[in-house]
Amino acid sequence: MATDTVEERGSATVPWTRRTASALTRSKTVRTFGPFLPFVLLWWVVAETGMFPSAFFVGPDVVIAKFGELLRTGVLTGYLWDSTVRLAVGAAWGLAIGLPLGFLIALSHRARRFAWPLLLFFQAVGDIAWLPILIIWFGFSLTSVTFVIVYTVVFPLMVSIVAGIDAIPRDMLRAARTLGAGRRNILLEVVLPGSLPAIASGIRTGLGYGWRALIAAEIIVGTSGIGFMMFDARRAGQVTEVFVGMIILGVLWYLTDALLLSPMERETVERWGMVRKPGGPR
Amino acid sequence: MVQATTARPRTHVLSRLTSAAWFVFPFLVLLAVWVIVLDVFEIPERTFPAASSVWDAAVAMTLDGTLVAHLVASLQRVVVGVGLAIATGIPFGLLMGLNRAVATFFAPLLRFSVALAGIAWIPLATLWFGYGEGAVTFIIWNSVFFAVVYNTTLGVGQISEDLKRAAATLGSGRVRLLTEVLLPGALPSIVTGLRVGMGYGWRGLIAAEIIATNLGLGYALFLAQKYFETDVIILSMILIGLIWLLTDRLLLAPLERRTVRRWGMQQGVE
Amino acid sequence: MSVLEIRSLNKVYVDDYTGEEVPAIGDVSFSVEQGEFVSILGPSGCGKTTVLNIIAGFIDPTGGEVLLNGEAISGPGPDRGVVFQSFALFPWKTVLGNLTFGLKMRRIPRREREEIAAEYLELVGLSGFERRYPHELSGGMQQRLGVARVLAIEPSVMLMDEPFASVDAQTRMKLQEDLTRIWQDRRPTIFFVTHDVDEAVFLSDRVIVLSQGPSRVREIVEVDIPRPRRWDELIEDPVFRRTSHRIIELLSAPADVEDRSDAATP
Repeated sequence: MATDTVEERGSATVPWTRRTASALTRSKTVRTFGPFLPFVLLWWVVAETGMFPSAFFVGPDVVIAKFGELLRTGVLTGYLWDSTVRLAVGAAWGLAIGLPLGFLIALSHRARRFAWPLLLFFQAVGDIAWLPILIIWFGFSLTSVTFVIVYTVVFPLMVSIVAGIDAIPRDMLRAARTLGAGRRNILLEVVLPGSLPAIASGIRTGLGYGWRALIAAEIIVGTSGIGFMMFDARRAGQVTEVFVGMIILGVLWYLTDALLLSPMERETVERWGMVRKPGGPR
Repeated sequence: MVQATTARPRTHVLSRLTSAAWFVFPFLVLLAVWVIVLDVFEIPERTFPAASSVWDAAVAMTLDGTLVAHLVASLQRVVVGVGLAIATGIPFGLLMGLNRAVATFFAPLLRFSVALAGIAWIPLATLWFGYGEGAVTFIIWNSVFFAVVYNTTLGVGQISEDLKRAAATLGSGRVRLLTEVLLPGALPSIVTGLRVGMGYGWRGLIAAEIIATNLGLGYALFLAQKYFETDVIILSMILIGLIWLLTDRLLLAPLERRTVRRWGMQQGVE
Repeated sequence: MSVLEIRSLNKVYVDDYTGEEVPAIGDVSFSVEQGEFVSILGPSGCGKTTVLNIIAGFIDPTGGEVLLNGEAISGPGPDRGVVFQSFALFPWKTVLGNLTFGLKMRRIPRREREEIAAEYLELVGLSGFERRYPHELSGGMQQRLGVARVLAIEPSVMLMDEPFASVDAQTRMKLQEDLTRIWQDRRPTIFFVTHDVDEAVFLSDRVIVLSQGPSRVREIVEVDIPRPRRWDELIEDPVFRRTSHRIIELLSAPADVEDRSDAATP
């Protein structure tokens, strides 16, 4: 590790090994996937030792081979598409319903007083518990699955919006009023942008719940999708496909987060310097 | 101002009563809507049960003991699963918060698992532990464990260097540092993690019980759906909502308030 | 006619939860003339910020009235712009966006807004920072923006609520010097709340000293120091020292018996 100091100076005498190493650590791909390498290695070693019977636990090599096979047969892409579309449709409906309702409850004193207890209760009932009655109403159909996702997205979103609007500093609202802003302008210029970070975090929580609900719904309703694939494989005792499914779920969430949720927060919260510094007083 | 002092206790009680009434009122409206809509549109029991049928079901199931059996089974699993998760999650989180090597190694797995925690493990859990108690407990443990580990690590990381130095100059050793500074310092974050994790865990429990057991509220739902007993379904849903609302409002939220607010470590969202 | 006239102001808070009554302002009367710089000063908890909040229209008094240009006020309005201790800048708006907010509310066309903005940015020394966001500025610069934002709407009176309390000591002195310079240049009417005796004397024409809460006006001290004022000259100035000393005496002297009985029966 003596070379550390040399590297910091960035001189031309740095040996090529260090230079490639530092180039590697700067590469985004390596930074993202590099940390997983030791883990995959450990996983492989554990699987190779045969510590666990292969009916319960398989190594990365087997999983990758299976992944390739499922891709070739087209099963995987079909299921993946089904799950993604369901989540997207559910989330879109969830936003369309949750945003206006959330603002209504947050801004109207009367609506808040009436709806808040109901909101707490229906959020507590939880998405999955709705599935049985939904199946009675709509059968084992796409409607049942979508309903559950919409339900999961709507409640955390509304709760976040209310919390976010309550958290707008009083001085900021007062400042707007002394500068001559009326009700409409306070809503458009202060309340709306001020609550964006909360909306972003509400969407994040909502999708986190929605994602899990989708898996459960696909297992229980069971027609297609990644959740169905996993449980179908489990019934047949095929552990490899279950592993494939879980990794896909993890990667998908990772991608949703990196491509959709993080940029959303970067554009609002971080750009405006509204990141809550952890621990410190504000 | 003399009058103000005598009026004080009355206003106090009165305002509490009013707010309680305001909390109950929406549910009464909901109940009225339920009764009226069913009557006016002549909706059959098979689609949506009458409020009275749900009440009858509650009475019948209480009398024959099935309701208590389901409730006890579910709550028992929660207690065991959450207990295990706290016992394993906090030490592991502290270790990750204190040791860079451990943290670096496990960080990616943790991020991956937090996203997956709970329901997604149902297929694997039932494969490993078979249908039954083991799998369901595993799902709850899993939901809470990762949230607790993640937030404990976060909490330890947020303790300011000055606080640790202050403890050191005041003569605390390694063990003392852990018990007197790190653990209480991370506690608000741990409690938040527990609250989030239990939210996932409760949902995970219901899903796991629907899929993988023969006792518990989730199973009651599953069974009722099979026989189109909508009254039992609605009853179970109400119970599930009530239990979680009570747990969250009477146990977790006050716990969070007590740590986060009392120590002025403002961050809690009501 | 005075720009701002406060008559027998009185405020009693009622605790929502316990129903307890907490008297904050006993009986406060004073007036502020056109183009005058008046500070209000008092021991902590004497309700000086409450006085400002009532004038701003954020809260209603229990008794008494506030007249602006001879008319009773109702609610907050752009005729009484407020500079906050917390700055209260909009984090999602740029420096330009914050500065022109009040003008936009008045439906002044964009081009004209930007011309006015340029003038005020120049005045507070923020030219060239138009596109920055508030969090990218230092505390001192943020509060300059806070001041410019209010000056730009040309209020009848500018209300300042301990505006320099959350910046460091050196920046504070600089801001105080800048504020007197701007005040001399533009002559806005300023009502300034502070707990810092030297700050009040340095900036003001008159200093209103309040008694311990429930507060009354103890004395209104005239500050007879020529302008322009600069810290390096004033720090040794005998009049400055004497005025500060007088105010400190007023603040630290125990309220006499007459004071107490007056406060208890408003």
